Amino acid sequence: MEHEELFPLLCAIADGKRDEFAELYAKTSAQIYAVALKMLKHKELAEEATQDAFIKVWHGASSYQRSKGTVLTWMVSIVRYRALDIMRYHNIRNEVTLEPEKDGPTTTIPVPSAERKRLAECIEELDDQQRQAIHLAYYGGLSHHEVVQHLGSPLGTIKSWIRRGLQSLQRCLSL
Amino acid sequence: MNYHTESLRNALAAEYVLGTLRGGARRRYQQLIMTNQSIAETTWLWEQYLNGMGGDITPVAPGENVWESIQEKLGFVNKNASVSEFKAPSKHQSRFWRGPALLAFAASLLIAVVWTSLSPSLAPPVTHIAVVNDQKTNPLWLIEISDQQLRVRATDQLVALADKDFELWIVPANGNSPISLGVLPKNGELSVPAPDSLKSVPINVLAVSLEPLGGSPTGQPTEVLYTSNLINV
Repeated sequence: MEHEELFPLLCAIADGKRDEFAELYAKTSAQIYAVALKMLKHKELAEEATQDAFIKVWHGASSYQRSKGTVLTWMVSIVRYRALDIMRYHNIRNEVTLEPEKDGPTTTIPVPSAERKRLAECIEELDDQQRQAIHLAYYGGLSHHEVVQHLGSPLGTIKSWIRRGLQSLQRCLSL
Repeated sequence: MNYHTESLRNALAAEYVLGTLRGGARRRYQQLIMTNQSIAETTWLWEQYLNGMGGDITPVAPGENVWESIQEKLGFVNKNASVSEFKAPSKHQSRFWRGPALLAFAASLLIAVVWTSLSPSLAPPVTHIAVVNDQKTNPLWLIEISDQQLRVRATDQLVALADKDFELWIVPANGNSPISLGVLPKNGELSVPAPDSLKSVPINVLAVSLEPLGGSPTGQPTEVLYTSNLINV
């Protein structure tokens, strides 16, 4: 549903249409900002990542391909990579909470697509330790070493949980 | 390392998208995405797999300043204009651009005037510009492109390296390998005939790589340092 709604907007943006760019921003900015805020924890840095992501969407709309995921997934990819760059540049070491951020008003949770429902099911099937390690890395932007500090298990174990968890996830999603 | 093994491609792509591939390994992988189609496609697959998780986070509305800043950075509004004139978009304000359209037009005229003033009076009109910034957003090179000419000016912010060159690349939007546009000047200005690839290839971004003197020995970027969007003017 969300993809069918957002894809025509992206096509128009690729054609330089500003109205549709504004509409895409209105529909997706809260989700994109939430991803950045979850990773970066700081309002200013999350705003910077969000701005940069939308500027990249404006310039790169024509490079979108369905094989990169839904429009929203593609935009999440853009903002996550930007957030990781910002973390690296500012040498941010993350302390993670997996609770919702309190900063800023929350908006309605969008109805998940069939792909996201399937992903949630597959993540639910992972071992608890694998799921926790992957969640820390994904939502918090933690490195292997930072996950070690958070979970208190050896580095080799953490790497193994993440690697095997990702392999299991791929098997489940490929079915 | 043998990147042709599917399991290794998947392992690297997964950790890249997850964000646990760090440091030099991450930079090398970014170059591989640019130069190897199967690695790019595996990465996209993992973006599909994992980044649906981002859609499950409870949305948080950003401040209005974010939208205002985006408009300013894209040149849609005049930075010096009162931002109070421009409301943040909502699902019910699809026509809000009409107000700022005149200002955006004025801003585009300003850009055109500035860039025209940098050009020789008989030079063909500039169609695209790009500014290559470092990580601190200091501008290092100003690039302007006309139908006939590619002109690059190094700024005084650039720290030249005696034993290295910087090379400019097109990163095609279709995922194909980067195409060299040549070695960048370390100071002053360089003008060359506009390569055909600038017109014939759909461009995602421009990239600058660090290379041995004389440019890439392999025909592909050695270490990508910066990227820059090409802007229509």
